[in-house]
Amino acid sequence: MLIEFICNGKSTAVEARADMRVLDLLRDSLGLTGTKEGCGRGECGACTILLDDEPVNACILYAAKLQGRRVETIEGVAGKDGSLHPLQEAFLEEGAVQCGYCTPGMIMSAKALLAKNPRPDVAAIEEGLSGNFCRCTGYAKIVKAVLRASGEEMRGGAAPGEEMRGGAAPGEEMRGGAAPGVTT
Amino acid sequence: MSGENLRVVGTRVRKVDGVELVTGRAKFTGDMKFPGMAYGYAARASVPAARIKGIDTAAAEAEEGVLLVLKGGDIPGPNIIGILPPFDQPVLATEVIRYAGESFALVVAESPEAAKRGARVVKIDLEPLAPILTIDESLAEGARPIHPQGNVTYAKKLVKGDVEKGFTEADLVVEGTFETSHQEHGYIEPEAVCAVPSSDGRVTVYASCQSPFHLRGHIAANLGVGAASVRVVQAYTGGSFGGKDDVATEIGTLAAVAARRLDRPVMIAHEREESIIGSNLRHASRIAIATAAKKDGTIVARRIRILLDGGAYASESPFVTVKTLVHVAGPYRIPHLHVESTTVYTNKTYSGACRGFGVPQATFASESNIDELARRLGMDPLAIRLKNALKAGDANATGQTYEGSVGLVQTINAIEERRSRLAPLPRNDERWLYGRGVACLLQGISNGAEGVDVVGASVQVSQDGSALVSVGLADMGQGARTVCAQIASEVLGISLPMVTARQVDTDSVHDSGPTVASRTTTVGGQAVKLAATEVRKSLVAMAARMFKVDESLVVLQNDFAMLSVDANARIPLRDVATAAYWTGYPLMNLAFSKAPDAVFDHETHQGNVYIAYNYGTHLFDIRVDKHTGRVEVLRHLACHDVGKVINPMGLEGQIEGGSLFGFGLAHMEEVLFRDGRIINANFADYALPSIKDRLPTEAMAVEDPNPTGPYGAKGVGEPPVAGAAAAFANAVADATGIRFRRLPITRQEILLALKAKPGEE
Repeated sequence: MLIEFICNGKSTAVEARADMRVLDLLRDSLGLTGTKEGCGRGECGACTILLDDEPVNACILYAAKLQGRRVETIEGVAGKDGSLHPLQEAFLEEGAVQCGYCTPGMIMSAKALLAKNPRPDVAAIEEGLSGNFCRCTGYAKIVKAVLRASGEEMRGGAAPGEEMRGGAAPGEEMRGGAAPGVTT
Repeated sequence: MSGENLRVVGTRVRKVDGVELVTGRAKFTGDMKFPGMAYGYAARASVPAARIKGIDTAAAEAEEGVLLVLKGGDIPGPNIIGILPPFDQPVLATEVIRYAGESFALVVAESPEAAKRGARVVKIDLEPLAPILTIDESLAEGARPIHPQGNVTYAKKLVKGDVEKGFTEADLVVEGTFETSHQEHGYIEPEAVCAVPSSDGRVTVYASCQSPFHLRGHIAANLGVGAASVRVVQAYTGGSFGGKDDVATEIGTLAAVAARRLDRPVMIAHEREESIIGSNLRHASRIAIATAAKKDGTIVARRIRILLDGGAYASESPFVTVKTLVHVAGPYRIPHLHVESTTVYTNKTYSGACRGFGVPQATFASESNIDELARRLGMDPLAIRLKNALKAGDANATGQTYEGSVGLVQTINAIEERRSRLAPLPRNDERWLYGRGVACLLQGISNGAEGVDVVGASVQVSQDGSALVSVGLADMGQGARTVCAQIASEVLGISLPMVTARQVDTDSVHDSGPTVASRTTTVGGQAVKLAATEVRKSLVAMAARMFKVDESLVVLQNDFAMLSVDANARIPLRDVATAAYWTGYPLMNLAFSKAPDAVFDHETHQGNVYIAYNYGTHLFDIRVDKHTGRVEVLRHLACHDVGKVINPMGLEGQIEGGSLFGFGLAHMEEVLFRDGRIINANFADYALPSIKDRLPTEAMAVEDPNPTGPYGAKGVGEPPVAGAAAAFANAVADATGIRFRRLPITRQEILLALKAKPGEE
């Protein structure tokens, strides 16, 4: 069937089987390989895209569901001139990327979160990203990146809500001597 | 270029390969497309042990879109992979099935779907065997041998001093047996390779892998061609943690054989379930420890027996056996040791390298036992560790001494200093039990006992003053390219944006062995430094001629050559590089870094094994919900002696990520088997830590420079796993008053133990 939808702001029409996965349609038919497959079962979040601004797993969504809808993938996040989105800048600046395989899905989930809640607290970030697995970073820098992108300057300090968990005073965190000679 | 005035090394820099990752532009193997590409999918055994009577591929070959079905006999070479002797693992099983999930045929088709359909209808005629699923069954008298040579994969001893004498001299002995379960690597990108044949008879394999030179060797051998006919290019790799080694050689070989047969590119990309059942796991372990000590807490002797469940094939079991053997006594000064370490075969998915390589298992057992000793003596757990801590000049478990870079005491002191400023833990109440646990660890850096440690690197500077860096070790996400770029930038005075550090291409650098043992920064970084230093000589010589001064007055920095006596006298490096080129000065160097050889007695494991160790101390504060068993981590301090921090942000990332990996092992993750089949081969049933499980890690570093690493650096990729796992277990024991002797210590285990505890309802 012909599937017509808006993809990263562009009118798009693709001939596809109705039962094709959206993930395959994006990757194979449109060459948008930034959306990754990690599990194929909607469990890891690597294939997260935005469908009418809602984060969904493209690996468990049928292509027919795209008809007339608006899709955003990681390829649509940076500006047309190549300028990075604040989330992308923040992920780099905070070191929230290691292998980078989960990163596109993570950024899409974070983008959906910030669209609804421009000033999320840590609990909201946890909730918003709880469907996205990362095996490399331990997640702390991802939380910091989302806070940074939302305008919080939490660098080096405990995030709001962390005080209860850690009992550490804000700003105390890195004082143990993380890295002599650090310059930012 | 000694430690003074470093401008790039030691600074917090973004990943050099970060932009393509955050924009989705980076091409991972599965993202690649080549004209005429076909797809491979393996047919796998559904039983753990059987003799193969026949394999019938007719139905698969008749399936629409199927191009080729490979069986083991179709592999031109020996149909064997395996990184070490005994080289016991077939690419495709031909005679015996040794684990559920083992591949016995590969179907290649026009589409992934057709390949999968074909794989489903490959028929295999099996004569089932009673599976051997535990260490005890494997070692039982008269047990069926899983391999012709028996069920012991590898066994080694470490003997230091006179352990009997040590036990006789002791005031007390504390004993315990500890177990750990199989852990899955859980990288988010499943394994993938793509083999592309070319008209000159060569084949290029793009791979998500950890050790490109292993792939090259295995693929060539199984193709029956020289290694020079195979080129392996590391693609962006979505994590590895030890897991993309054997399996990448397996699918790399299959893709290459199919690609040559069809003269078409062939992609094999694993699904998640295949990634779990069909590639190596972390060894499960059982470790029995007896520690003999004096009343003042001085440890005099330890007697330790390690048993590792290595699953169906050797993989890296021989090395894991030895690494566990050498590390299990811990970072302590102990005169008398007797350690035995044995890995056995079982009919389960094979175990091999997994971040930490036996050290997390060993550290959990050892540090739990040390904690019990402290409790028996009424000593503070940090104090007893400090009392026995290795210092420079002390003989470690293998009798090796180091003149420096033994920073354990500094890490203990850093944690102690931090602890002394903390408010005491709250008192237990109706709901919460509070506890604090600490653990110390060491982790050998470099291949050490695992053989020669060489790395090749190249640095070339172009006439425009940009630099290209290539090293033979892979970046799997850990930040190796960034570290190597920083080192080249530091040496050459070329700013980081002008430095490109590429992924491994086996055509371009010396065989550098595997990317393992937290050695990339240490040994690989040294190779980059050597190569850059050679190229620097040309730039300095050229600049000196241009300035008409002595070379000693030339400084290279910020893309300029300048005079040390007058920073205003400067020439752009691109002009220097251009002049150097036209003058005929070499602007490229291929360097080769070789770590000092390990020299030790193979019977006793006494001698010099590793070029350096990373030392660390971790502390956990937790609270446990009495009613549900739920654990909340209130604080996690992780301090490591890394010699020298190259990129603070990368270091924190390694400590934070490695710690959560260890926390998963200790609290959440376990590969579950029923009748020899893995029953949780997906992320719904296998509990990978999520963002809600993350730790409040405070990453701390001490820098006790390592003379064998660049700028004094030592690796840190693996060590945090062991520290976090062991300290967590000790915190749970402190909170609950119950010593848990098996990992993972799940919420359910805690709840059951609390209910069973005398005095509780």
